[in-house]
Amino acid sequence: MSDQTAAPRASLLSRFLRLRRGPWENLATILIGLGVVMLMQPFSATAYAYSFITILAGTAMFAIVSHFPE
Amino acid sequence: MSGLSQAHSVVAPSTATRRIAGAIVIVYALVTLIPLLWIIATSFKTPPDSIAYPPKIVFTPSLEGYVNLFTTRTRQSPEMLAQLPPPTTWYDKLVRSRNMVIAGPSNVIPRFVNSIIIAFGSTFLAVFLGTLAAYGFSRFRVPLKDDLLFFILSTRMMPPIAVAIPIYLMYREIGLTDTKLGMILLYTAVNVSLAVWLLKGFIDEIPREYEEAAMIDGYTRLQAFRKAVLPQAATGIAATAIFCLIFAWNEYAFAVLLTSGNAQTMPPFIPFIIGEGGQDWPAVAAATTLFVIPILVFTILLRKHLLRGITFGAVRK
Amino acid sequence: MTETTTSSALPEKLAGATPEVIARPIRGLSDKAIAWFFIGPTILLLLAINIFPLIWTIWLSFTNYRANRPNAEVKMVGLDWYHRILGDGDVWLAMQTTAHFVVWTIIIETVLGFGLAWLIDKKFRGHGLWTTVILIPMMLSPAVVGNFWTFLYQPQSGLFNYVVGFLTGIDPSSFQMLGSVRLSPWAIVIVDAWMWTPYVMLICLAGLRSIPDYIYEAAEVDRASPWRQFWSITLPMALPFIMLAVLFRGIENFKMFDMVNLLTGGGPGSTTEVVSITLKRQAFESWRTGYSSALAIILFVTVFGLANIYVKALNRVKQR
Repeated sequence: MSDQTAAPRASLLSRFLRLRRGPWENLATILIGLGVVMLMQPFSATAYAYSFITILAGTAMFAIVSHFPE
Repeated sequence: MSGLSQAHSVVAPSTATRRIAGAIVIVYALVTLIPLLWIIATSFKTPPDSIAYPPKIVFTPSLEGYVNLFTTRTRQSPEMLAQLPPPTTWYDKLVRSRNMVIAGPSNVIPRFVNSIIIAFGSTFLAVFLGTLAAYGFSRFRVPLKDDLLFFILSTRMMPPIAVAIPIYLMYREIGLTDTKLGMILLYTAVNVSLAVWLLKGFIDEIPREYEEAAMIDGYTRLQAFRKAVLPQAATGIAATAIFCLIFAWNEYAFAVLLTSGNAQTMPPFIPFIIGEGGQDWPAVAAATTLFVIPILVFTILLRKHLLRGITFGAVRK
Repeated sequence: MTETTTSSALPEKLAGATPEVIARPIRGLSDKAIAWFFIGPTILLLLAINIFPLIWTIWLSFTNYRANRPNAEVKMVGLDWYHRILGDGDVWLAMQTTAHFVVWTIIIETVLGFGLAWLIDKKFRGHGLWTTVILIPMMLSPAVVGNFWTFLYQPQSGLFNYVVGFLTGIDPSSFQMLGSVRLSPWAIVIVDAWMWTPYVMLICLAGLRSIPDYIYEAAEVDRASPWRQFWSITLPMALPFIMLAVLFRGIENFKMFDMVNLLTGGGPGSTTEVVSITLKRQAFESWRTGYSSALAIILFVTVFGLANIYVKALNRVKQR
């Protein structure tokens, strides 16, 4: 179902990026994981300070890319 | 796959392996039960026995914990006690032997009643709404279905303290603070997400042909839902209801932050059962025992569905 | 997806193929209207009890509002609270305390839980009964569990101290599980492991049981050693399930409040102050509503992000 609706857009942009769900979702997962580690690690105050924005970016990215075709 | 065919399989573990595995698991199970058994035993101890050193494994059972749980008592001088008419009941006698008299009932019964009302009220609502929504998600094409389902699930995962801040303010505005209705609505909202996911799993397993046949026979969609789907989903609905009941029964964070008396349930109440000089452990243990018994019964009833419940219906065996 | 399509189309098709009298009750309401009739109430409830408060929290996190002074003037402070929290050493410390708790409970629960599941999967006589017995702790109320473990942890009379003393010869009154800075972080780990190992065990057991026998039979034919079978069949095939359990325990313990609040209340000092306790202290004791709303949003977003990963893991397990 979603394949059909999103297919033309994907083919249009596929010259620049292959907008497939899998790799993007993995990237978002890594970003969220990284953010959580930054939030809770005891080593760097700078990493802690930027943890939230990392998690936020990862979560927002996840919400968007989960609508890409499989 | 029956046990018989596995016994003949090349990969079946040998008898010795099985016995060793069984022994380790049983030892673990017994060790892990000790804390709970200890609490149940403590509820039948006298206050001095409960804090004796070394801990008493063999003791004379006493109902003092239960008496203390259900009553409030005042200490009296021996002269005062001598003037009183002799005790008429066994619990009067027990309390007198500690130089005290019963002043009245404690708050435990209202708290228990609150727990029951809030747990059953929210369970009923959550299962009612959850069944409808699960059927909707299972059978119709809903726009943004996956997003809605994820949104519903994510509401259950939210940290309760974070949710409690705005709920506290909201309830203060509309006068629901420390009311049973407020707690029922809140627990319904938390439980409905589990109910939707679990019941969707159960309803997905019911073949559509039942309703389609019913509708060809002239039933409307709603009648088909009631006559063909609900009876088939009965086991699933019951299991879901027990999960919701357990959650509402056990919930603590919202209860401790949003209730203080009128709507307080058992979990925030139990830690504050105090006697003279600190916690009255036999009474606390007695309350814990009475509180836990329904859970033990539910666990046994649910054992076949536990896996489904803790994975939001994803794993079904 | 295709399933849904056919089902919503089927009544229409049936309606078209049947005489008007029979078709009317099926067509009475459009499918879309019926779908919203079923789903609407739940969505409305969640909007009222979850989404509206969430939006309110976001707004509060940009203000200096204090819940104990409802009539004071409310000023917008922009992103100040977020800057403060993300530069606040105390909150960072609470995050590290939470990390200690999360990491150790996950390690212990996964090792024990998987081990137990592996043993139970040997299907000894009565394994069903003993599995149910093992599951009891996780069904109890975390608050009640926290409360009665304070009793077991009493330095003089507590059973835990006595048993440790009996097994190791240390004087049971010489250490305090809850009162000492060194031991209290472990006290909460022990209780959580006691309570939630069964959870991990149950999910791992499902994972082990999802591995079809023929794979082992094939390995047996290839003369693979049991050791090799474990590392190249059992563990990889159970891994999605282990990940599922780990993620869920991680999320749950990241926001752990009940048990810790009753065991230690964050003490002694702030040695066991996990982030939920910080949040409670800020929101309901210091009444810094704006600040705590910002912290709440940070926790929300983190849990929301992890929930995305969790649902991905759920779907992977569901395909089996």
